[in-house]
Amino acid sequence: MTLVKDRVVLPEPGYGTQPDSPQLTVDLATMSTTEPAAAAMYQAAGADDDAMAAPDVDLATETTEQRRERFERDAMQYVDQLYSAAMRMARNPSDAEDLVQEAYTKAFSAFHQYKPGTNLKAWLYRILTNTYINLYRKRQREPLQSNSDTIEDWQLAKAESHTSAGLRSAETEALDHLPDSDVKNALQSIPEEFRLAVYFADVEGYAYKQISEIMNTPIGTVMSRLHRGRKMLRDMLADYAAERGFRAHTEDQAAAGSNNQEKEK
Amino acid sequence: MSDCQGLGDCDDTRMQRIYEYLDGALTREDLTEIKQHLDTCEECAEQYDLECLIRTMVKRSCTESAPENLKNSILDRIHAIKPVEA
Repeated sequence: MTLVKDRVVLPEPGYGTQPDSPQLTVDLATMSTTEPAAAAMYQAAGADDDAMAAPDVDLATETTEQRRERFERDAMQYVDQLYSAAMRMARNPSDAEDLVQEAYTKAFSAFHQYKPGTNLKAWLYRILTNTYINLYRKRQREPLQSNSDTIEDWQLAKAESHTSAGLRSAETEALDHLPDSDVKNALQSIPEEFRLAVYFADVEGYAYKQISEIMNTPIGTVMSRLHRGRKMLRDMLADYAAERGFRAHTEDQAAAGSNNQEKEK
Repeated sequence: MSDCQGLGDCDDTRMQRIYEYLDGALTREDLTEIKQHLDTCEECAEQYDLECLIRTMVKRSCTESAPENLKNSILDRIHAIKPVEA
């Protein structure tokens, strides 16, 4: 095996399959998504800022009380983050609280299965996501997939009708003025599997691999959900900006013939 | 449809490249190549800027604090249950 120092080799195409060759020098799970250059450094260093240095824990001899202490010390610090994610799932504060409580209770009961030194926050997110799927989705008694397919088709048709015209920098300016409530509403309005992928990528800065583990889906699916989710989100935000009268940019109207569809909305 | 084909010959490909760049999911060579392109192509740079802004907005909007009592409720619950042993 050759160690390639300055070069990061990714599986290709589509990242869905890992090559058998050990020449792979990057762990997708360790990539940060906040800043491309920094992410490259993380890849090279194999760093993971969420992972703690493996502490001295002997899981076999650990008492229940010790485990409880360790859980409180290590896991409870992520309550805000889990609550924020739960708000993207449950849609109202009361349900989000229930969801976080349930997830933490499950996490504690299963804490002996957590491998110290691995990413605890991502592990908790995974339990939260599973809890949500099992608890709330059943309660809704409505298969998520078929529901979102409908929305998806409609949304995508709509997205295609005007993202092709391109959002100019004046619109970047316009979007920048949108209040947080608009952003949350826009996010809530896209199908949840897209919404959660966007949340984990944009808010937590997780790599595709980590998101795929949290959401229990292949990496290729994560990538396509992100792609489509971001398109929808951008489209929604442009609509909100227009509704608020932030789109004071006449050049846009004249810029492309495909802008005609916008007026029909 | 975009005029620039520097990042791919259709809008979808271009956006996918921009997302991968934003997500840090590229080889170092590709990172450098795309960065150079964004430095020189205004059209693609605008797309990138917009995506960066949206990411920042999402991050800002979705960073919430849990209600005060939530942490205590969780602690109460985990103190009340017996963990399942391996």
